[in-house]
Amino acid sequence: MKVFFALLIIIFLAFSGYHLTFRKFRLPHFTRTFYLTGTEFLFLGLLLGPEFLNLFDAQTARGLEPLSALLLGWIGLLFGFQFEVSKLRRFPFEFLIAAVAEGLLTFIPVFLGAYLTLSFFQNIPETLKIIQSLALAAIAACTAQTSLAILAPGTDAQHRKLLTLLRYISSIDGLIAMLIFVLVFLFRPLWFAEASWTGELQWGIFIIIGACAGLLLYALFLSQRRPETELILVVIGMAVLISGLASVLNFSPLLSNFFIGFCLVNFSREKERIFNMLISVEKPVYLLILVLLGINWRFDSGWIFLLAAAYCLFRLLGKVLGGLTIKHLSPELKNHPSQLGFGLLDSGGLALAILLDFQQGFPCPITHQVISLALLSAIYCNLLSPVLLGRLLKADQ
Amino acid sequence: MDKISQNRKNFFIYFFILLIMTVFAIGVRRTELLSSWQESGMADFFLGFVLLTAYISAQMLKMFQLPLLSGYIFAGILAGPYVSSFLTADMVDRLRLVDDLALSFIALTAGGALHLSFLKKKIKAIMLNIGLQTLIVFSLVLMFMLFWGKQFNLIQSLSSVQMISLAILLGVTAIARSPSSTIAIISECRAEGPFTETVLGVTITIDVLIIVLYTLALAVIQIIFSGGSMLHQQALTALLVELTISLLFGAAIGKGISFYIERAGHDLPLFLLFIAFGISKTSLWLGHFMQEHFIYHLHLEPLLICMSAGFTIQNFSRSGSLFMESLERVSLPIYVLFFSLAGAALNLDALLICWPLALFVVGVRALGIFSASWIAGTINRDDPRQNRHAWMAYLTQAGVTIGLAQITERQFPEIGVYLTTVVLAVISVNQIIGPITFKAALNRLGEARNV
Repeated sequence: MKVFFALLIIIFLAFSGYHLTFRKFRLPHFTRTFYLTGTEFLFLGLLLGPEFLNLFDAQTARGLEPLSALLLGWIGLLFGFQFEVSKLRRFPFEFLIAAVAEGLLTFIPVFLGAYLTLSFFQNIPETLKIIQSLALAAIAACTAQTSLAILAPGTDAQHRKLLTLLRYISSIDGLIAMLIFVLVFLFRPLWFAEASWTGELQWGIFIIIGACAGLLLYALFLSQRRPETELILVVIGMAVLISGLASVLNFSPLLSNFFIGFCLVNFSREKERIFNMLISVEKPVYLLILVLLGINWRFDSGWIFLLAAAYCLFRLLGKVLGGLTIKHLSPELKNHPSQLGFGLLDSGGLALAILLDFQQGFPCPITHQVISLALLSAIYCNLLSPVLLGRLLKADQ
Repeated sequence: MDKISQNRKNFFIYFFILLIMTVFAIGVRRTELLSSWQESGMADFFLGFVLLTAYISAQMLKMFQLPLLSGYIFAGILAGPYVSSFLTADMVDRLRLVDDLALSFIALTAGGALHLSFLKKKIKAIMLNIGLQTLIVFSLVLMFMLFWGKQFNLIQSLSSVQMISLAILLGVTAIARSPSSTIAIISECRAEGPFTETVLGVTITIDVLIIVLYTLALAVIQIIFSGGSMLHQQALTALLVELTISLLFGAAIGKGISFYIERAGHDLPLFLLFIAFGISKTSLWLGHFMQEHFIYHLHLEPLLICMSAGFTIQNFSRSGSLFMESLERVSLPIYVLFFSLAGAALNLDALLICWPLALFVVGVRALGIFSASWIAGTINRDDPRQNRHAWMAYLTQAGVTIGLAQITERQFPEIGVYLTTVVLAVISVNQIIGPITFKAALNRLGEARNV
């Protein structure tokens, strides 16, 4: 089995190298989706991890924790930067409602489905089941734009309205995912067992104080214009500092940095420079997250493949339900096809960042299962997505 | 707003940031940690804290014409386990991998900074400096330890054999430099010119040479301790094999990197990160593998591999400038991280125990460096002003020296513990004053472009 996987990985890596080296080479559609989502880096992680080469042993993983903190902080900041209120206002309000509705309606079936399925398969405490299901629902709620990015030239002009809506939803629905992810932290076993009303309040106050202090520091650092290299250092330092603080306070590094990013994009004069810097390494950051997740990928049982398929189906159901609801939200959205959810199946960077955050914050045996489920499901969804998007575009004609 | 009031305003802003961060850090330090996640969060928090405070401290010191590097080191010392304990010894240890990665990056830069054409042009000056510095610094420290060593309480109890061994090893470690500090200062000052080029060439070559010299010294000490008369030929052959393999491996990697840059070129910092990580892990893994399967310990030197890779890219490909630009873009966070962690790791306890001996060794070493560089400059007919200031460039000392002392501690515990204590104390002093003197030399000789 190991030899087979090693061979598979080597082939993937060879293709990956070829893809990186000769970018103009036109790959078949299926392979393009595969490479565009960076799936080969998941396999690279798997190769480096304990399943194969074991280059990432426990000590190395410990040493790389600051890197994970930085990556989560980076993605959090970047996602926060997508919520510039003045830019969001340029789109119709119905779009925002549609994105929220789609996120929520994906959450409900995935949460219920995951909870019931896991109750059947696992004998673990109730709190852990809820945490696991919430994490999976949060991951399912966000959408990426991978398939939209590889549409044939000319498609944009033909389906302008539909694609604008899909792009908008897929960049905003992560907000719902983030809010669901907050719930995961409220259910932390430690808190759940010992939580009291005053304890929760104190926790909330500490997090608010931490966020305010972070904002104040940013304001002071950005009070003068700095050269790019120094700005990189400030952003890296602040991202690691805030991520670390969030972990110390039992909170999510991703969410904390998202909040900071949101404030910066709406109140800072340096927003353009910071955004350009964040976006310039978006792909490497995303690929590193894939590698780190790949390291924790385990195939303990064959059932995981079936469970992932079920999870993918729940997600598809949620997206379809969400699409149907959006259509009936307002007269302006009525003209879109009923299969709107088919265009929202891709799973991308934010979902993986939530997964990595979950892995860091909940280091227990169930975490590996969640990771395996979510990763396999992401691969299934990314393979299905171009086909379903094609159907949606056909229906739009 | 004029420059003075702007500086004053900046100083107050920086001071205010430091104040807030310190209060913040004290608050976080008091938090009760109940899980490993919180513990790693604490390490991350203080890593961010050190990065930012080191940057701020350096900016404050810059206003007084002091090198940024000293600011990073001071911040590390203040945040480290011997002063405020914001960064505990365990955290410093936890961040060792990040530290190694940073060092690999610095070694890539060091290799990339060496131009073959310049080396050919300066070969005489470099070889002369290396030869004289090795000879004079080693001899002076050795003599000092042999004749006056017994005057110091710390090592009074050592036997004659142990004292000779300690003197030889201290003599050899005194030759070592800190290429990372040298490169950081050159990069900070944007220094250019014949003096800068000679210093860089000498420092990097000595860093390679020191490994050979130290292995020789260990072989000699082995003979002294065992009372034997044969030099360990096997150990020397093994060392040569290891060095050659490291250099060849580095050259092959350098070729690979340049191929990647020419053909793909995107996401270069990430690619280099993978390479740096791969090199340090593969060297370790290969050592274990050879030990396990062939009962032969093959120690490939990651620093040498990275230097060789950087050198190959710079001199045997067309992508040298692109490679250096990529490294430069991410160099600041790496320098800050590396040197502040180095500051945190400086052993102040050791300095406290043996500061009189350390100060004497530092003085004797500086005298040796001064004499050697002055003689070399005079023979080479360099500018007399350069000859007077050259010694100031060679004081920095770190990295490999600590590693060598630790190897000795494992091999000869009888003297190793004394050697490590003295070496750590000497490095603490040199690493604080070295960057300051080097920057001053570059300024005085007019080679610093970024004054």
